[in-house]
Parts: sequence; C-alpha cells; structure tokens
Amino acid sequence: MEATTGDLTDPLINHADGQLFLHEAFKIIVEEVLCKGTDVKEKVCEWREPEELARLLDLELREKGEPQENLLQRVRDVAKYSIKTSHPRFFNQQFAGVDYHSLAGRFLSEALNTNLFTYEVAPVFVLMEAEVLRGLRELVGWTEGDGLFCPGGSTSNMYAMNLARYRLYPEVKSRGLWSLPQLTIFTSPESHYSVKKGAAFMGFGMDNVILVKVDDGGRMIPEDLDEKIELSKSQGAAPFLVSCTSGTTVQGAFDPLHRIADICDKHKLWLHVDAAWGGSVLFSKKHRHLMKGVHRANSVAWNPHKMLVAGLQCSVLLLKDTTDLLKKCHCANATYLFQQDKFYDVNLDVGDKSVQCSRKVDCLKLWVMWKAVGSAGLEQRVDKAFLHARYVVDQMKKREGFQLLREPEFVNVCFWFIPPSLRGKEKNADYQNRLAKVAPVIKERMMKQGTMMVGYQPLGDRVNFFRITILSPLVSQKDMDFFLDEIERLGNDL
Amino acid sequence: MNLYVINFKGQTTVEELMNPEKGSPGAGEDMEAAESFIQQAMEIILQEAVKKATNVKEKVCEWRSPEQLKELLDLELKDTGESESKILQCCRDTIRYSVKTGHPRFFNQLFAGMEPHSMVASFITEAIKTSLYTYEMAPVFTLIEDALLKTMMKLIGWEEGGDGLFNPGGSMSNMYAVNLARYRYCPDFKEIGIYASPRLVILTSQEGHYSLAKAAALLGFGTKNVYVGAVPFFVNATAGTTVLGAFDPIDEIADICEKHNLWLHVDACWGGGALVSKKHRHLLKGIQRVNSVAWNLHKMLMATLQCSAFLVRDKSCLLQRCHCAGASYLFQQDKFYDVSYDTGDKSVQCSRKPDAFKFWLVWKAVGTRELEYRVDRALALARYLAQEIKKREGFRLVIEPEFANVCFWYIPPSLRNLPESLELWKKLHTVAPAVKERMMKSGSMMIGYQKHGDKPNFFRMVVISPQVSRQDLDFVLDEIHSLGKDL
Repeated sequence: MEATTGDLTDPLINHADGQLFLHEAFKIIVEEVLCKGTDVKEKVCEWREPEELARLLDLELREKGEPQENLLQRVRDVAKYSIKTSHPRFFNQQFAGVDYHSLAGRFLSEALNTNLFTYEVAPVFVLMEAEVLRGLRELVGWTEGDGLFCPGGSTSNMYAMNLARYRLYPEVKSRGLWSLPQLTIFTSPESHYSVKKGAAFMGFGMDNVILVKVDDGGRMIPEDLDEKIELSKSQGAAPFLVSCTSGTTVQGAFDPLHRIADICDKHKLWLHVDAAWGGSVLFSKKHRHLMKGVHRANSVAWNPHKMLVAGLQCSVLLLKDTTDLLKKCHCANATYLFQQDKFYDVNLDVGDKSVQCSRKVDCLKLWVMWKAVGSAGLEQRVDKAFLHARYVVDQMKKREGFQLLREPEFVNVCFWFIPPSLRGKEKNADYQNRLAKVAPVIKERMMKQGTMMVGYQPLGDRVNFFRITILSPLVSQKDMDFFLDEIERLGNDL
Repeated sequence: MNLYVINFKGQTTVEELMNPEKGSPGAGEDMEAAESFIQQAMEIILQEAVKKATNVKEKVCEWRSPEQLKELLDLELKDTGESESKILQCCRDTIRYSVKTGHPRFFNQLFAGMEPHSMVASFITEAIKTSLYTYEMAPVFTLIEDALLKTMMKLIGWEEGGDGLFNPGGSMSNMYAVNLARYRYCPDFKEIGIYASPRLVILTSQEGHYSLAKAAALLGFGTKNVYVGAVPFFVNATAGTTVLGAFDPIDEIADICEKHNLWLHVDACWGGGALVSKKHRHLLKGIQRVNSVAWNLHKMLMATLQCSAFLVRDKSCLLQRCHCAGASYLFQQDKFYDVSYDTGDKSVQCSRKPDAFKFWLVWKAVGTRELEYRVDRALALARYLAQEIKKREGFRLVIEPEFANVCFWYIPPSLRNLPESLELWKKLHTVAPAVKERMMKSGSMMIGYQKHGDKPNFFRMVVISPQVSRQDLDFVLDEIHSLGKDL
C-alpha cells in the first residue's frame, strides 16, 4: 500500500482502540499476574520444556496482525508460563515480592516513556533522581557527593572501575590503556562476577583481577589484601582499585570495610563497595553495623530492586566525589543533546555523566515507594527479612537432614539437605558425589510441580547446596514452614 | 499482599509481624486494598498519561523552572510514609509536569508517539518482574527474544542466522560490537588486557554517534584512537545519523573491510527501521555483508524505551565466549533442562530486562505490513514537510532529507534581507534557541535544534509517529513563524 499525500491527513493509529486494549489487558495483568501471582494457593511456575513452550506461544511474526481477542489471549499465555517472582514461595534470586507503590511507579515510568538525559525531556525525573540519590548518600554517611542510576549493578561496578582509572590517569580517556602500566584490581573470590566481566570489557583483562583470600565466613582477609597489593607492586604492576563486597551473592558475607579502607588509604587505592545486595541494611538501625566504615569508600553500588523490593531495574552508583569526576570521566559533549545555549541551567542536563545515551527512569519506582512507606517502613522490611532468616536457621537446627554451611551473617541461608539414605554416611568415599546430585533433583521436582523455587550452586570445594534468600514482605512464618516441609517431601526418597 | 507493610507507620512491633495469624499473604482484604490502589493509580495513568497526553488539544509540556518544580513536587523523602491519596496526587503531579513524549507535536528526539501494544507489553513486563539471565527465570521471554532476533536477522539478510541480544540502549550495543571485534582479533585480550598489544584503532565517520567515543574511552582504547591511528580493526558505519539522518554506503564500506579484514559494524539504531519497508530498505543496501548491527526498535518502530537489539553474524558462540564468566551460582551445568537456553553469559549485564517482548507483541498485533506502512508514511510526511519548507518564505532546508530527519533554518523577517555572511550566521544562531524557549513555555510543541560543524543552530524535525498528520506539520511551520517573526 503506497502512502500518498492524501493519506497523510488523518492520523493512522486509532487511539480509542489502543486505549481499550490497554484497559482490557490491564484487567488480565491484575488478575493473572498480581492476584494469582501472589496467591499461595497458585503455583510458582508452570514448567514447560523449551520446544513445547515455543509451540504453545506461537512465536512466529507474520505479515498480518491479529484481532484484539487473540492478543488478549497472548497476554494471558505470557502471564501463565512466566515465573511468579512475587509469589510467597519464590526464593530463587535476590529479588522477590512486590511493593504496589513501586509497581505504580513502574507503570507510570513506562507510560511516560522518556529518557533521563536532559531537563527539557525529563524535568520531573532529573530533580527526583537527584533527591533520591541525596537520600541514599545520606544513609552511606555522605552529606555531599554524586551518582546516578545504572542499568544494573554490573554497570555500577564498571563505572567505579572506570572512575578509579580516570582519577589516577586522566589521560586514559583520550589515549587508552596502551601507554599505561598494567593496572590491577583486587577483589575476593566471593565477589560478584561483574568485577571480572567489567575488567575484560574495559581492557584490563580478567587476569589482572587479583583474588584476595577470604575467611571461612567468606569475608575478605585484609592482611592478605595488603600482601597481594605489595606483591603486585613489586611485579611492576599498578594497583588502583579494591572492589569489596557488602553482602556477597551466595553466602551474604560482609567484607570488613574499616580495615580494608585503612589499606586503601595506605596504598592510595580507590575503594569501591559493591553493596548491590547488602546496601539496604543501611536503612536498619539494628543491622547497619554490618557496613561500618562504608563512608570511607569512594564509591558504593546499591540495588534497591533487591532487598527493598523496588522492582527491576533499580540500581544506583553513589560517589563521594564533589569535583564532577563522573561527568569529566564520561562526557562526550554531543552538541545535538547538550547545547550550551539552552534557556535553562544546563547543569541539569545530567546525560553526560552516563556512558549511556538513552537512560530509563528508574528513580520513580523507588521514590514513590519511599514516599509511601517512609524510611521507617523500609527499615521494617529489612529487619523482617533478618527475622525470617533467623527463624529458618533455628528450625533447620531442629530438623534432621538440614545441614547449614555456616551461621549466616545476613539473610542468605545456605544449607545441604541430606536425605535419609545418606545420613551418617559422611565417611563414605562417594558421599560428596552423591550429595551433589541431591539439590538438582529436588530443584527439578519443585519446578515441575510448581510448588516453590529455591536456588542451588556449588562453591569452591563445597558441593551443590541450597541458598534460600528471604526478603519478600509477603512472606510469613507459614511459608517458611512450608519451605522446610517441601524440601523434605521432595527429597526424602533420594 | 500484606498491605500492613504499605501503610505501616511504626505502630506494630516486629514480634507482632511474625505472628502467623496476622497478615497472611493472599488474605482477602489485603489483596483488595492493594488492588484498589493499583486500579486507582492505573486510572490516573490511563486518563492523564495516555489519553490526555496524546490529545492534540492538550499541551506537550507544562514548563516550570527547576526551583518552581522542586516546590511543586515536594520531593523530600521522610521517615514516615504518606497517605494513599497523597501518593496518588504525587502520581498526578509527576504526570502533569512531565513532557508528553507521545503527543502528536513532540518531535524533539528520535523517539515519539505512543504504541498501545508496546505499552501493554511494558506493563506486563513490570508486573511479571523477572530477569532474562536464565531459562528457569524467564522461559517465555527467553524464547520471545530469540524469535524476534531471528526475524530481524532475516530482514537484514543473514540466511544462516546469527546471534544477538537486547541491551540497555544502542550505546551499549555499539560497545558490544567493539568488544567482540577486539576479542575476535585476539581472544587473549579477555584475560591479559590490552596494555601490551599494538594500538588498535576504531574508524567511524564524524557524523557517527558519540557512543563510539564513549565506547573507546570505557573499553580502554582512548578517544584519540577513534579515526586515525596504528592498527585499524573495527569500522563503524552509520545507517541513519543522529542529526541529518544520513546513510553511509554500506556496500562500498564492506568492500574495504573485506579487503583489510576489518570488523564492520553498522549502527542502525535510528535507520534500522527502514528494513521493514520494501520501498526504503535500499538505504541499507549491503547490510547482509556486515559483522554486527545495532538496531533500536524504540525509535522509528515505536516500542517503549528501551528496546535495543544487538545482532552479530556469527554461529560460533562468539558472544558467549567473549563475555562469559561462568558464574556457578547462576549458570550451573547440571540443570535439568538444556542449559544452552540460559542466555545470561552472553551479556555483560547480570540482571537484564525482557525488552524484546515489548516489540514482539506489537509485531504480533499489527503485522509486518502495517509496520511497513508506518515507516513509509513517516518518510512521506518528511518529504511533505521538506516540500512545504521550500515553498515558504523564511524557511530554508539544510540538506535534502534522505530519511525522517528534516533539518532547516527559520529566518525571521528582520534577517531575510541580510547578505550571506558571518554576521547573518551569528544572528541566525540565536533564533532557534529563542523559538525553542517560547515553544516550551507555551507548551505548544517540542522540536530539537543544534549547531553542526560550522553551521549555525538549525531545527531538526523528526517524523515518526503514525498519529502525526499533515496538519500537525503545517502547524509546526506556522507556529515557528508565529513564535519567531518578531526576532
């Protein structure tokens, strides 16, 4: 169909139809995803093999469109076969539950469809992001500073690496790494893999990420950090960054920040704290001690979409710096976006602080939630998660067959389930091998039955164990009891 | 859900919260309260952010200075929470003072309009709230992303298929291309870094997007090693430049790249949309020969932000090998399903949003033919605008548009008799900013302007939305004249 000038008179899209579709689809979303998805009587997941699911979904994209009835059925299908991550028995990742205020904020962000690069296209959000960052920095202990929202904690960690590199060698921005000494990064083996991915991506090389020993709780050993830095220097390399973790992914360990900060001060290294998982303890008067010393860091990564239930994605990078380092490091001064002759204060055009061009509005979801429940409400959320973890640990100690890896410091509870057939047989030669096979089978069973979702993984020389992270505000004691019973039910015959 | 957490104002002790009788999940009245809040919020969104926001009789923006806006919004975050009605009012205020990017007279960026199917898909994505790293966490979205990428590859012309994923923005896609090219050149760089290697250089045009410069800085090449240098290994061609909407001649560039064994990446973030149009796809002739393509569906094809695809013509798992870290807590090899469905290690991100779904649903809803018609219509409108500009006094095109960007100067009557000189350029340079300020303060429309090389500020009209009609374009020219004639 050739578009002639005559066709240009009328708008093409019928907005009334579109709005009706939105209305109908929203009803389905509420019913299928929000109501059923949080109902303990419903399944957590409706498992299908990939080939079967592909057939059910009818994925093919065709020349012609479809009537609204078909599309609404598709909406139902997508909801049906997706994982109910807000379900009270979803414990698989470091996010869970749902906060309805943040959800409203997320719907609103999608509807307003704008980018956070200039004040002119996102006036409300430029101001809002600044206010949210200020509030989070305050909790870290900084009255001033900088920062921004990133598309995930991995990006926040990369930014920190880039800033540290730029601060030490500003010429790297224009000249590259070619002329520099070999830069080395220090982190623990329990840190998030984005430190390694970032190192590869940014040209440092994964080999230049030096792993520091951890104690048996998974915490970085400061003395070893000091030694490894000295060793690296003696080899002619240039240590420039320590990336330590507040709340490691698997065990939930907190690196000792004060002592690490001492070493960073001594050697003049940038201290980055990956608090993507653990950062939210800063809301809790009772538990913030876990991050004692964080104010001495140069940068902090923190993902409110994890423990604060803000919804994916909501990740911040916070900086102590007040010299505009973020902007100097990243700017490219594109004249089509960042004109200097605008009629408002162009410092409000924050886009050049970012490595992204278009950048989603992720601050709204956190802002609405924070406004609705207050810092006190968020504190309660964090404290409750700790109580749940404590309850589960106490129960496990009372039940046969549950063996904790160690006493948890945070809300990650790592444990093996030892089926009756293996109990007492620790000395057998094939014990470890057989134990390693238990978690994958229980996982398969729980997913195929859709009763709950819990993650498992090996760690170092420890074979597959479960990791339950309890953070959803929807969860109650009954769900904890169910979880323990269900593991037993699914694994007793192994 | 437990609304006592939402309304919690520090009155219940934590011990009471642990009481199994109180606030069990799914308890009838709690779910009702939550549902009621969401219904009310959605009603506001539909009325104010969708219906009104796309109505030509309403303003495009409600301009306030930053100081005024701060006062109006009451941004402060406090210890205690606020009432439900206050929160709903916050939502209303946020909408009121936000720019209506779906308005028929919003032409400021390379995205515009409102696609209801994409918006529905966005809402679903937010409600479902999952991450695309493993099949177990996102079975539906994993398969949908794959299906959409395959369809896009067919349009590009890769008969044997390839690989790819969706990224948080086109800048990231461009960075992936640079990184893959570097990895192909020397896989060891992943481990040892690039310190000891010869200085590698990225070639792009002056009109290329600034993300190439940012990529060079972030990835360790250095911005000086973009354009001129020692060992070229990567060429970036642009299909649809940001300002002028120009298309680099891909076939010819591919000849050169093949000769010198360079990785050829096409930044088709903006121009990729032309591929759905039989009439206009010639603009990207040769694209089937390239190594990688970045294509943002949230631009011309109107998916909601973000919807950025990165595609690579490779079947050797290059993307996976280049980026993987094999984290054992996510990518266990002993899962009970085929773990090649876990896409997460192809990415440099960990959690990743299911952005492909936002366009898959659109395509299902309207079909390829309708997508084609939309693109053809947008380009026909751009041609119409160019013709009108030529007919009107005081308007002058910068260049004949090749795509949907129509760049032009408005020359107020007071300047029309001045000779072509530096003095004219200097005065002309101040016109667009002044007109822009006036249009934003009146809220009648939004159009971008910029300088370019040694050319003084000119307007860049970008025509995307099928909701836009001839009348809107006539209005744009009338309005610019009305706002600027006294300058």
